Amino acid sequence: MSHSDKAEIFNKNEAKVNWHDKALWFVREKRDTAAHKVKGWEYLRELASGIKANVLSNLDEYLIEFEANAQKNGIKVHWASTAEEHNKIVHSILSETNAKKVVKSKSMLTEECHLNPYLENKGIEVIDTDLGERIVQLAKEAPSHIVLPAIHKTKEEVDELFQKHLGTKPSKGNPEYLTNEARKHLRDKFLKADAAITGVNFAIAETGGFVVCTNEGNADMGAHLTKVHIACMGIEKIIPKESHLGVFLRLLARSATGQPITTYSSHFNKPASGTEMHIVIVDNGRTEQLSREDFRSSLHCIRCGACMNTCPIYRRSGGHSYNATIPGPIGSILSPGKDLTKHSSLPFASTLCGSCTNVCPVKINIHEQLYKWRQIIVKDVKQPFIKKTTLKIVGKVLAQPKLYAIFGKSARWLITYAPRFMVYSRLNTWGKSRELPKIENGNFDQWYKNRNKNG
Amino acid sequence: MVTLINGIKTEIKMGRESILNSIKRHKPALVLVPEINLNLFSEDIDLLETFKHNVELVGGNIKDLEHLNDLNSVIKKLYPKAERIVDEVSASNLGTVLITKETDPHTLENVDLAIIKAEFGIVENGSVWISEDQFPIRVLPFITNDLVIILSKKDLCLHMHDAYKIISDRKRTFGLFISGPSKTADIEQCLVIGAQGAMSLTILLV
Amino acid sequence: MKVGLFIPCYINQLYPKVGIATLELLEKLGVDVYYPTNQTCCGQPLGNSGYESDAKGACAVFVKNFKEYDYVVGPSGSCVYHVNQHFDILPQTEDVKKIRKNTYELCDFIVNVLDKKVIGASFPFKVGLHKSCHGLRGLKLGSCSERMVPYYSTEELLLKEVKGIELMSLNRKDECCGFGGTFSVFEEAISVKMGKDRIQDHLDNGVEVITGADHSCLMHLEGLLNRNNQPIKVMHIAEILNNSI
Repeated sequence: MSHSDKAEIFNKNEAKVNWHDKALWFVREKRDTAAHKVKGWEYLRELASGIKANVLSNLDEYLIEFEANAQKNGIKVHWASTAEEHNKIVHSILSETNAKKVVKSKSMLTEECHLNPYLENKGIEVIDTDLGERIVQLAKEAPSHIVLPAIHKTKEEVDELFQKHLGTKPSKGNPEYLTNEARKHLRDKFLKADAAITGVNFAIAETGGFVVCTNEGNADMGAHLTKVHIACMGIEKIIPKESHLGVFLRLLARSATGQPITTYSSHFNKPASGTEMHIVIVDNGRTEQLSREDFRSSLHCIRCGACMNTCPIYRRSGGHSYNATIPGPIGSILSPGKDLTKHSSLPFASTLCGSCTNVCPVKINIHEQLYKWRQIIVKDVKQPFIKKTTLKIVGKVLAQPKLYAIFGKSARWLITYAPRFMVYSRLNTWGKSRELPKIENGNFDQWYKNRNKNG
Repeated sequence: MVTLINGIKTEIKMGRESILNSIKRHKPALVLVPEINLNLFSEDIDLLETFKHNVELVGGNIKDLEHLNDLNSVIKKLYPKAERIVDEVSASNLGTVLITKETDPHTLENVDLAIIKAEFGIVENGSVWISEDQFPIRVLPFITNDLVIILSKKDLCLHMHDAYKIISDRKRTFGLFISGPSKTADIEQCLVIGAQGAMSLTILLV
Repeated sequence: MKVGLFIPCYINQLYPKVGIATLELLEKLGVDVYYPTNQTCCGQPLGNSGYESDAKGACAVFVKNFKEYDYVVGPSGSCVYHVNQHFDILPQTEDVKKIRKNTYELCDFIVNVLDKKVIGASFPFKVGLHKSCHGLRGLKLGSCSERMVPYYSTEELLLKEVKGIELMSLNRKDECCGFGGTFSVFEEAISVKMGKDRIQDHLDNGVEVITGADHSCLMHLEGLLNRNNQPIKVMHIAEILNNSI
């Protein structure tokens, strides 16, 4: 199903759409308030973008530097070209240490690699420990937002889910009660876990260390209670120097939730004595994206989710409409690089309003990349015959003023014909909920001709 | 090896060398890393007052101590029910649970209160830097039910850029910026204090 | 200074009154305006649908029509933005480069080229300004709410000088209306919902007339207003600025 089909279904419940829209707009407003308080915000964005551009242009050297420094500190470094390799590596580390119970904090990379089902098939229990992720895990759903994974769920739905899986009492969706029950449930999981998996927000070439940011403290609870900590990162998470964290940590939480910084920004440089620390560095299509000049800067992304919160389409269609690991505007420029056919509707799920580009803390020109993906998709993915042919004919008509004059002279041509070429088989999509413009007598051309005659 | 997957030309490759080779082939010409002009971030503000304000903004409590001698009584007053206390600060002596580097972190499961010292605070976001130097077991500030952090009023810096200058020479093992108690808004965007980490955070200024 | 009047295809065919107001307004301001009659379309609907390469012919016609003018001025921000931004598909001849640089949205031209704000118009109504995205974020006719920069709005500079007008402020100052060209039919459900929400914001703030510098957004909003019989009119900003009582 395309984005528009799924979005149409989501819009059947207008009250829920309104709630979803307002909840995310509220986050966008908190982001604005937080950003307004920072002197030099736009300069910070420029720096972040500049640092990321430097990273991409020297990525191999930084990865080598990172690896050497991490190893010096006793961290084991692994490399995976694909999702499958990544999953195999994680599994082999777990097998070697005989780990059967794993706690995992938020990592979009492991979502992208479908690590959970892989490990579960091997008999390993994986518990997502971020509350939102735990909610969607219990519901057997995918996260619908990269920072707010369960934003599509009502508190009543969470209540029911917890009653069923955690044995909680009915609470009419009391968030304090439910959060506290989840805390107890997850505490137990943390204490019994054999290994912890976390994501990586930033990996520093200069020091070989990495930073993990959470609000709940779940990454640290897992990493410090278990003997084995596996941190999974995409190759683009590298930054050159530790001092650059000053730039990124100022931008990240403010852009994501409007907090000045996440509650915990943990800097891991060395395993604690008696424990193992592993890093898995993953490509999985990223070097392909690096090769695409027009789309390369999508790899600047620091996963703040601000583009989702600001996107008027995301807010009204919900994350699941995108049917991709990363939904919203940034997902719509990343996903086509992974599977052009499957994700071919995503670059069209935008009015190209450009709000995403302007909110992005690392200045990715998201809406311009959406436009560019569209040009590629109509060439490389089979298009409906009528749409393709009519648009080509329109192109020819518009290139010949005389022909256009014949078509355009009657305003009725556009009224009856324009919406039709836009919608191909669905004849009157425009008119489902909207009136067509009222036809005036004659067009501007005719008026101008008459005026000159009379004048 | 080049093959066609899902309509896009995709290269099949394995491991470290192929990733690095692929980057070498595909990366753009070198872009210089920008210099950071810190003058553009300097502000003439009351560091202490702004810090206090921001600690409260992130859900923390903050209290000014008149005398260091008051430490015990102030903490007792704030957390009267705390029994299992790990105290890692020399100026106070409330500890009931002793820990060393060899302590099994799981035994901290029921710690009511941990008292540790921060190295410095960051005014722009109300966070403090704490590191393994101040607590022998990494999980302590997370697993404890409540957390008290002692901070010297003199040790404040304006923003994160200064913070990284201050910690640039440290022995790098484990450390973090911590800003308020653990929290979540994952259920219908309702902010709930007390997620998986500490339920409360009090910063005592000395 | 010779100015070529750029009347986008949909305005030519569906909203001639907007074209007329634009022309009259420019003439009142003493501009030497010409209307090349062989105009078709800037190619934006094709480009935004992914058929940019099929739009080269239309773009070439545009260049041919307008190359002799010092400025090209049109009453539709998104079309102007398309010329500025997306005529990169043509060979960059001197003519093309000049046209990309000198094609202006009407308000932008009045304020930043003619350096005029007071036009002497009068319009005693409560007006809500719809800031079209391509004008706002593309042509930078104003500061957008995402960026931490000093506030400005080219359209507001002009509207504030109109006698009797009451500019109403909105809860969401620059959210997209959901038109988006072919988006309005390919993503009909979201497009309609976005439009409805924009209109509600204007209704909530007592707006009588919605105006803007891009009539394609206004066409979408008008379609919804008329279908739902809501008590708001839409008028292009040129119509308001050209209005004197």
